[in-house]
Amino acid sequence: MSKYLDLDIRKIHELLVKKEITPLDLVDEALSRIEENKDLNAFITINDKVREEASELGEVDPDNLFFGIPIAVKDNIVTKDLKTTCASHILENFIPIYDATVVEKIRENKMLIIGKTNMDEFAMGSTSETSYFGAPLNPHDKKRVSGGSSGGSASAVSGGLIPLALGSDTGGSIRQPASYTGIVGMKPTYGRVSRYGLVAFASSLDQIGPITRTVYENASLLNVLVGEDDRDLTSVKKDKEDFTRLIGEDIKGLRIALPKYFVSDIVDEEISKRIKEVISFCDKNGAVVDIVDMQYLDTAVNLYQIIAMAEASSNLARFDGVRYGFRASDVNSVDEMYGKTRGEGFGDEVKRRIMVGSYILSGENAKTYYDKALMVRDDITKEFNRIFKEYDLIIGPTTTRVAPLLGNSKDDPHKAFMDDVLVIPVNMAGLPGLNVPVGKNSEGMPIGLHIIGKAFDEATIYKLASFLEEVF
Amino acid sequence: MSNYIPTIGLEVHVEIKSKSKLFSDSANAYGMATNTSVNVIDLGYPGTLPTLNKEVIRQALRACKVLNCDITRKMHFDRKNYFYPDNSKNYQITQNRTPIGTNGYVEIEVDGVKKKIGISDIHIEEDTCKSAHRGSVSLLDFNRAGVPLIEIVTTPSISNGKEAMAYLTKLKEMLFYANISDCKMEEGSMRCDANVSISKTDVLGVRTETKNIGSIHNVGLAIEKEIERQEKVLETGGIIREETRRFDDKLGETILMRVKETGNDYRYFIEPDIPYLELTDEFINDSLKTLPLLPDELKKKYSEIGLSSLQIEKLINNRPSNDYFLGLLEFKTNYVTAVNLLLSDISSYLNKHNKVITDTHLSYEKLVSVVDALEKGELSNKNVKDLIDSLMERDLTLEELKKEFNIKNITDDSFIKDIITKVIENNSESVNDYKSGHDRALKYLMGQVMKETKGAVNPKKASDMLVKELNK
Amino acid sequence: MDRLSREEVLHVAYLARISLTGEEIEKFRVQLKVLMDDIDKIKSVKDYDDEMMYTPIEDNTRLREDVVGKMLSAKDATINAPKKNGSFIEVPVMINE
Repeated sequence: MSKYLDLDIRKIHELLVKKEITPLDLVDEALSRIEENKDLNAFITINDKVREEASELGEVDPDNLFFGIPIAVKDNIVTKDLKTTCASHILENFIPIYDATVVEKIRENKMLIIGKTNMDEFAMGSTSETSYFGAPLNPHDKKRVSGGSSGGSASAVSGGLIPLALGSDTGGSIRQPASYTGIVGMKPTYGRVSRYGLVAFASSLDQIGPITRTVYENASLLNVLVGEDDRDLTSVKKDKEDFTRLIGEDIKGLRIALPKYFVSDIVDEEISKRIKEVISFCDKNGAVVDIVDMQYLDTAVNLYQIIAMAEASSNLARFDGVRYGFRASDVNSVDEMYGKTRGEGFGDEVKRRIMVGSYILSGENAKTYYDKALMVRDDITKEFNRIFKEYDLIIGPTTTRVAPLLGNSKDDPHKAFMDDVLVIPVNMAGLPGLNVPVGKNSEGMPIGLHIIGKAFDEATIYKLASFLEEVF
Repeated sequence: MSNYIPTIGLEVHVEIKSKSKLFSDSANAYGMATNTSVNVIDLGYPGTLPTLNKEVIRQALRACKVLNCDITRKMHFDRKNYFYPDNSKNYQITQNRTPIGTNGYVEIEVDGVKKKIGISDIHIEEDTCKSAHRGSVSLLDFNRAGVPLIEIVTTPSISNGKEAMAYLTKLKEMLFYANISDCKMEEGSMRCDANVSISKTDVLGVRTETKNIGSIHNVGLAIEKEIERQEKVLETGGIIREETRRFDDKLGETILMRVKETGNDYRYFIEPDIPYLELTDEFINDSLKTLPLLPDELKKKYSEIGLSSLQIEKLINNRPSNDYFLGLLEFKTNYVTAVNLLLSDISSYLNKHNKVITDTHLSYEKLVSVVDALEKGELSNKNVKDLIDSLMERDLTLEELKKEFNIKNITDDSFIKDIITKVIENNSESVNDYKSGHDRALKYLMGQVMKETKGAVNPKKASDMLVKELNK
Repeated sequence: MDRLSREEVLHVAYLARISLTGEEIEKFRVQLKVLMDDIDKIKSVKDYDDEMMYTPIEDNTRLREDVVGKMLSAKDATINAPKKNGSFIEVPVMINE
């Protein structure tokens, strides 16, 4: 079997341009790798038209770096005529009649959507174990989770099934699985990438981002995904830029902050040790790394729970069995239709969050919980801005531990949130954050570094990430 | 029994005139085939997001101006969460905390007494879909889902059904005139809920809400009936419950629909998909620029230029003629004659051919020439009737048409004199009658003259000449 | 162990329109309590100002020009509906007018 998919994307592109390989070769390779690694359970749906689409491209000359490259799409991003389940029974047979904006962009660049990746049901969870279709596995150790909620995308890229994938990140759902599986995952600045067609979990936090093997590929894919979208009022107009432009530069003079909280005793020792090695490497190469105090970081999980559950309870109200999706049988009244459809259609994690979210917004609770969370959220954002007046980047570990064993956090509603304690603050402030692998622990499990940038300064994140990628 | 003081507040929903819907670009149109004026946003498909129609904001600003409201400069939208099949997302996007307009009033006059009805707020929200009930099922048509509405909420400053009717009549007239809404209660583009309570003291009584009353007349009736009912209940030792009622126009009374539970739990929160909207002076002024003169202003203006109150009323009730007439005021002519023409021959032509005046060849210049000719006696009303089709349909001047219709002679004295001479010769009996003092004979003779000239002479002129000839 | 009453669980389940089995009710009495205790921690945050941030977007929201775009056919509008009736989508009768 050929190994074209293991090549750097630029090399693959070169071969395509020279017509030494065709898009169909790449698709067939990806399909057979997916088949060989079925046990990873990385995909929910394979695009059964992808070979046909690849064949059609065979006649066309490549016009961009991603031409003819297979890509996987998280199953909460809608794809026209291709089943989009959100890993839920309630959308098990849902075939959208429109494309998400990012999917349009992928198609415009002639990438080939190989299939839809597994995830936590409606992206609610941190291990992808809440999937109606069972959890995807971690290619580094199949007894472990690949993280969540973009666990399938991470598993597929990490396992070499596919070079590129899309994920979504509401409270760490790109960066944390990327960390657990040793790959590169970016949550762009809120507003960078259109959310149109991303099935909303928590609207003010959700953001789509690239999951890739390398920093360069990540930045290049982000180039394709970004842009103001008339269909999404929360997408922001920015001048076109090349996110790879600072890759390869040295890091001399870069000012980096390391919040104390990120190296406190909540973090596993081996991980802390590795982070310290990263810091001294940065030091040696002329960057300034200071340990700083940051207020409110420890409130982020709390804010996240309130804001995400509240928004989710409203966003998921539309799954009611009326216009699309599953409807329970034998229902004789409207309330019975709602109750049974949603009772049978949603899994436990989703039910819990919707119920607690409804409680949070109910009556006076809205003031006590929701409004207050928005106030503290504003303060945490201001706190980030304060740090960014003096620093270019903030770093820390992406996760407090390496990928846990399967079944570890089952039925513990609290644990699901604590896996993301270090990545959630970024979503609160709408900032960009990236995971880059910085080696493995003694068990051979990947450790990830979390790099946080100023709003809309993804390029500087990529600069540091690529610098470290070469070494660790 | 009559010493109870009723307190009434009205909530009026008005559909805004615009081409597209509030949060999506499907058509805001009435009477389209079932489920054809919809897109995935109106259907609440997963991943879809709202956009915000500029024209609706402009229309709401115009409504604020017309209803003397303070304009909110910085606003957001809110989600009102409730499950119902006509509500495609199971939340309605509305304005709960920052209504676009507050603190306004409408001045009404009842039995010669003027009164200001307070408007507590005007807010923008989306309409629900239409449902029809067939036995054990309901059928949904989403064409109306997302149609822009403004809800206009009065303070509890209305004292009886008569005032409520006067308020609604005035509201309808103003919003219709300002081109904000069709305000057709029968088509549902204006809907009214009435909150009614009665009390003998300053402390307000428990209120009931009578929903969706079908006409202004019925609002008045429903309120009076509801006041009567509440008085009867209280006088017989009963208590008024907070409940929702409807008005049955066959029975002529309000009917209980449901008793309100412990307050509706709408779980309002700020709509995160729509960032703040901050209005500039420029945008506001620009929006208000196109606001036409309203009935009260028109009445004043028209009586100043000498129109009779009947003419004024007719003109105001004939919107296209009124708008056309306003343009005519730029020209100097006899407006009274012009209005008579507009309301008679021109209107009947337009009605007959189902046309609007702006689609005809009746330019202001042409109309002025017709009015002036009538004034000078160069044209008779009969001429106008003969010429009306050509005046409206053909791009010819009055002079050109007169030539073609051979009515150039009507001011020619000798032509008229010849006819008069002929009539006198042929009706010697009547001439004798006239000479012996029978006034009726003159009428007969005059009729003969008009008959001979086929009405193409100025009657006054002809009559003067006839008398002169007879008296010779 | 701290848990909610059955009624408390059923109340939030009704708000969310989720029917629960007896077993689920028992399970959620504990699990929802854990989450409600979690969110209660917000009450202990003391030092904050009252400015709210409901979206990270600071730009003024864009307004759409009032132009009609593409619409669905009745067939596509109802294509995913579990139950349709001609061009309509069908639900159990809505009595709660």
